[in-house]
Amino acid sequence: MDGGAAVAGMGRAAVVVLLFCLLVVLPPHCAGQTNLKSPQDIQVYVVNTNFTLRWSYTGNDTNVTFSAEYRWFEDETDETEWKELHGCQNVTLTECDFSSAITKYYDTHHVRIRAERREEVSPWSSIFEMIPYFIAQIGPPGVQLQSTNGVIKIKVSPPEANQVRKMWLADTLFKYTLVIWENSSNAEFRNRSIFPTDVIDDLAPDTTYCLKVRAILTSESQEGLFSPINCVKTTHKVSDLLCATNVSVLALDMKFHLHWNNQYKQHVSYNVQYLTGYLKTFPDKRSVNWLSVPGCENITNTQCNFSSIITSSGCYYLRVQAMSEYNRSCLSDEIEVNPLVTNEIGPPDVKVDISDLLLHIQISPPGGSESEFMRDYYDWSYRVLYWKNSSNNEEEIKMKEIKQTIGTVSDLTPSTLYCLKVQAFSKFYNKSSHFSKEECIKTPGDKILPLIILATFVTALVAVLLLAMPLIFALYQAYNKIKYVFFPSCQPPLNIEGFGGQLLSSPYVSTTEEPIENCCIIETIITEEVNQIDFKDYKHSKQSSRDSGNYSNNDDASGSKVSEEMLEKEIV
Amino acid sequence: MNAFGLIQIGLILLCITTISSLQCNHLPLQQRKVIEKSLQLLDKMGKKFPQQCLREKMSFRFPEQVLKPRQKETVKVAIEEIFHHIFYIFSKNLTLASWDGTALEQFQNGLYQQIEQLEACVIKKQTHYFWNKDVNRLKLKKYFQKIDCFLKDKQHNLCSWEISRAEMRRCLQLIDKVIRKL
Repeated sequence: MDGGAAVAGMGRAAVVVLLFCLLVVLPPHCAGQTNLKSPQDIQVYVVNTNFTLRWSYTGNDTNVTFSAEYRWFEDETDETEWKELHGCQNVTLTECDFSSAITKYYDTHHVRIRAERREEVSPWSSIFEMIPYFIAQIGPPGVQLQSTNGVIKIKVSPPEANQVRKMWLADTLFKYTLVIWENSSNAEFRNRSIFPTDVIDDLAPDTTYCLKVRAILTSESQEGLFSPINCVKTTHKVSDLLCATNVSVLALDMKFHLHWNNQYKQHVSYNVQYLTGYLKTFPDKRSVNWLSVPGCENITNTQCNFSSIITSSGCYYLRVQAMSEYNRSCLSDEIEVNPLVTNEIGPPDVKVDISDLLLHIQISPPGGSESEFMRDYYDWSYRVLYWKNSSNNEEEIKMKEIKQTIGTVSDLTPSTLYCLKVQAFSKFYNKSSHFSKEECIKTPGDKILPLIILATFVTALVAVLLLAMPLIFALYQAYNKIKYVFFPSCQPPLNIEGFGGQLLSSPYVSTTEEPIENCCIIETIITEEVNQIDFKDYKHSKQSSRDSGNYSNNDDASGSKVSEEMLEKEIV
Repeated sequence: MNAFGLIQIGLILLCITTISSLQCNHLPLQQRKVIEKSLQLLDKMGKKFPQQCLREKMSFRFPEQVLKPRQKETVKVAIEEIFHHIFYIFSKNLTLASWDGTALEQFQNGLYQQIEQLEACVIKKQTHYFWNKDVNRLKLKKYFQKIDCFLKDKQHNLCSWEISRAEMRRCLQLIDKVIRKL
């Protein structure tokens, strides 16, 4: 009976052991079914290179620790394995600093975190993706103040000064904004931008002011965090008569002169110093590298020619150090000189030439011998103003813009005096030079009109000649004919000379018998008359015509006369 | 404030932006001159590339797609960024390079002036926003970080400076080419 009880007892024990074993073995497998929730609302805050991970945990947080993992992508697709995130292992708070783990600020990172309690672990949280550079904030800058002589001298150090690893590489490009206010009720907040080393001078003396500074990177459109508020009291303002006042710049082309005033009664010598513009942005000791302007050291007159230091298009800062005999010195206010903006431009040089009705203009850019520098930066265009110079002063002034140094003006009237002046201007800098001297030139008279007149005259002459020639010829011919008819020039032959006296008795008279042969009876009566007439005719012919050929004509003529007389006689 | 006052203010703002943007229209031409001058000064700064530095030459692989003009405005902002970085690189410790200090000063001053002018010009806020989140921008930053690390590793010795100078020269020449097309 006892053996059976023992066996039963053993069986029960085995079951208990088995159950116990099961209880021991099973839990690890059922880890996922624990009550541990995974953390949520993961956030990463980055200030400069300080990375802070924050999350929220809604579960039962007794004895719960958190551990995080991360991985990053080398080249967008190349991902690394999940690694432990240093600084965020077994933390009890709901935030941790993992700055030491992140070095690649431009690569995509993934972060995840889970809760742990002894052996229990929660599932991983959702992945938080980030590119450190894009979520980083600019930290506060360092500020040093010094209150002297009614002003506050401020020295700002950049947010990541003296750090080996920097998020913001181009720290020389930080700009700083200052917010300043009086430490009283109803104080006005004033904003202004300042250099790393600057002076705030528009302040009331013996007053406490509070200020804070932030860094700005315009390329990132980012404004950094403010520095802690710093309060300081301004001192009495003591105006030192030794200091140079009213420092100003007068510049023509590339010749720069600094002028200032002096109110000190005793002997003062001056030392003009300059600083190349970009150095002002350097926050370290290089910014105090003021150099003396050559030729303006230990001078006594209140002006300085500093053209020699202007070698680039960027800006420069100048200040005057006044030194008294007792080794006391005072620095004047600084003045900023932007060479291409502050100067006045002298007139360009103009040469004019005329040919026909085209006015040729040749321009030398302003600046004379130094014009190379100016021409490089200004990219001159030219305005030519021209007008007719007549007694009537209401002549319209015309304008022509040209880009090159050679131009022509063409819409001109002849025989007029034109005057012009030229101005150079730069579109980008929005600057115009002085006008050049007026140059006047007269356009030549119209050469065409006399030519036209000449041509017309010649044409007319030719036309007239062409018309006149045949006419004259015809007249000449007519004249000849008339002369031949009425004034024959034929001469009777020699043997007929002296014909007139012997005519009656001459047997040759019978030649006239030809007409006689026609009318016999009448002829006898008429012959005498005819003979008389013939005589007359002969005489006439002797006198005038020489052509014997005309004789027959005359015969005919006389014949006709005879017939007339015959007719008369017959009628009678 | 009544509507009329608002209109007045609006008109004034329009005026200011028009005036300032008018000048900015001529900026590319101005930029070309500055870049030409900068290239001249870069050459003037030092002598010919030393032979002994050839073996230390490294390929930095400038991300040229940054300057491929998809959008004119993006390229302009990219150029501004490149100027920033070049200015930063040349403001480091240059004593071992033993270059012509005057030429270097002129180079830096001219570059800084150019950066100021670019910032003063009215660049659309939207372009800045898109550029700020642009992937190519990160590539550009990595490129300059590589050069920065290279200089640090070599402790700013002569060869590292000469290699960097040659690289910056290449950068400026690329920008010059792109600006001419703008």
